[in-house]
Amino acid sequence: MIAELRPLIAAEWLKLRRRPMAWIVLATFLGLLLLYLATWALVVALHTGALSGGMNRIMVLTDPQIAELKRQLSFPGIFGAVLGQVNSTGGICAIILAAGFVGSEYGWGTLRLLLTRVPQRGALLLAKLLTLLLGLLGAIVVALVLGSFAAALCQLILDLPSTMHLRDLLVLPLGVARSLFVILPYVMLTITSAILGRSVLAGVGGGLMFLALDMSAGSLNTLAGVDPRVQMLINLLLQPNINTLIVLNSQLFGLDQSVLISGLDLTHLPSPLQATLVILVYSGFFYWTAYRLLLRRDVGGAL
Amino acid sequence: MTPAIVTESLSKRYASRMAVENLSIQVQRGEVFGLLGPNGAGKTTTIAMLLGLVAPTSGHAALLGTPLGPQLAVALRKVGVMIETPAIYPYLNGAENLLVLARAGRIDPQRVDRVLQIVGLQERAKEAARTYSQGMRQRLAIAAALLPDPELIILDEPTNGLDPAGMVEIRDLIRHLAAEGRTILLCSHVLHEVEQLCQRVAILKEGRLIAQGNVADLLQREQGIRLRVEGDPAAAIALLHALPWVTGLTQEGTVIFVDAPSQRVAELNTYLARNDIAVAEIGLRERSLETFFLEVTGDR
Repeated sequence: MIAELRPLIAAEWLKLRRRPMAWIVLATFLGLLLLYLATWALVVALHTGALSGGMNRIMVLTDPQIAELKRQLSFPGIFGAVLGQVNSTGGICAIILAAGFVGSEYGWGTLRLLLTRVPQRGALLLAKLLTLLLGLLGAIVVALVLGSFAAALCQLILDLPSTMHLRDLLVLPLGVARSLFVILPYVMLTITSAILGRSVLAGVGGGLMFLALDMSAGSLNTLAGVDPRVQMLINLLLQPNINTLIVLNSQLFGLDQSVLISGLDLTHLPSPLQATLVILVYSGFFYWTAYRLLLRRDVGGAL
Repeated sequence: MTPAIVTESLSKRYASRMAVENLSIQVQRGEVFGLLGPNGAGKTTTIAMLLGLVAPTSGHAALLGTPLGPQLAVALRKVGVMIETPAIYPYLNGAENLLVLARAGRIDPQRVDRVLQIVGLQERAKEAARTYSQGMRQRLAIAAALLPDPELIILDEPTNGLDPAGMVEIRDLIRHLAAEGRTILLCSHVLHEVEQLCQRVAILKEGRLIAQGNVADLLQREQGIRLRVEGDPAAAIALLHALPWVTGLTQEGTVIFVDAPSQRVAELNTYLARNDIAVAEIGLRERSLETFFLEVTGDR
């Protein structure tokens, strides 16, 4: 199986690596990440008066919130901050990338040519998914490196304390894997939508629509306190389970999201085990749907 | 040896429309076979079914002796394909486009340079494919078809968009590939191209097979006689109507086209001469594949 997939992944990787869209999406994400970090750095600088040598202080946030921002801008909190961005704006970027990666094959007519060389449609789908995840993993690593440089700069300018330990580096792969896992259902649904609609637009539309619906449904969380059964049902939605893993990732690097996000009630979130299982079920269902669609539908001819 | 392509009662239905209906053809190994038909005749759907891209509604087909199904992958390793519009990754260069297919299909990457050389694209191989002209894209698509060093090559409109010199080059290439013993299934709207290249053809219309056979046989079948008379042709036409083996007559000025067996030319000439009709010219009516195609498809 792996031997069969390796050349396919090599082919897909060449396509992804050379595609300008992939680099544009990456540059956009990194730009947004830097903007986010720069904004928080500015807020901290204004709060502490670092820009005026302590003469003028503008306090837009409370002291505990500033303390949280300082943790986000220094090691090891920067890792949590970057991974948090991966799971917000990064998710949208992943949807765009996945839609283009799969949908374009229909638009350019390359899918049927490819299928004459790789008739095993399941293998092709798996290779595409693995290549995408590989690309996303690479993007996360680049974001972490960039975030680390930014944190080093912030520590220098804002005189932030660093409490970096070996443990923080050792748990970093777990945090990265968790971030990637959180993106997975959105990527899978985007691929399914692109195959269903045979276009990039259908993929982007499907992915973003689901993201918006899921986030809106997340507001139902406020009803969770009404009855345990309501809470149980709400916790079967994707968003609360994703929140669980995002919060876990923050905590992994000493951050506390509830300080910055008022209304985030950590007590109602599903358990890590349930979160993992629910995300796995959603991703599996979307993947299975994509597989069935690709396997059963005609490609080419008088469509 | 099994035929390169066999279809038996192959059909494809899309909702209420039959795209291909009970198609039965055989393409022998080593021959150049033409698949003709007007737009929407079902040519591309037939090809797509043969390649496993489209599932037939009913019927059977086999490619290089392998029936459609899970084993088709083995046969496809020996098949080169170019379907309709050249499919390219616009942001990749020509060589990379081929490299993607080579990697995916586990084909020796060294074949990339070889096929680029064959189609004459090696000098532009490092340029982005989006900058290629239609003719260059066509060549790249043919290069992709040649990549697996195929036994069977399926070419759908291979000279589409090429300038006359390019068309001649591609036809020469097809002849060369055929001379190497490869089987070629050629779909083309350029009928004289098919006439020049193919030994046998199948003509489709609205998904149905309406004629199949050797090009020479098809053109000779019901070939007819062309004659020019001196004076008023009306008298000649009246006489010709009386002959039981004349099935049709068409007049264009002093020229009369007689639908009759070609071996009756001498008999016809004698008959008219005996009836005092001076025949200035008589001979077999030359028909091109184009004429035949238009007649059998009912477009004329």
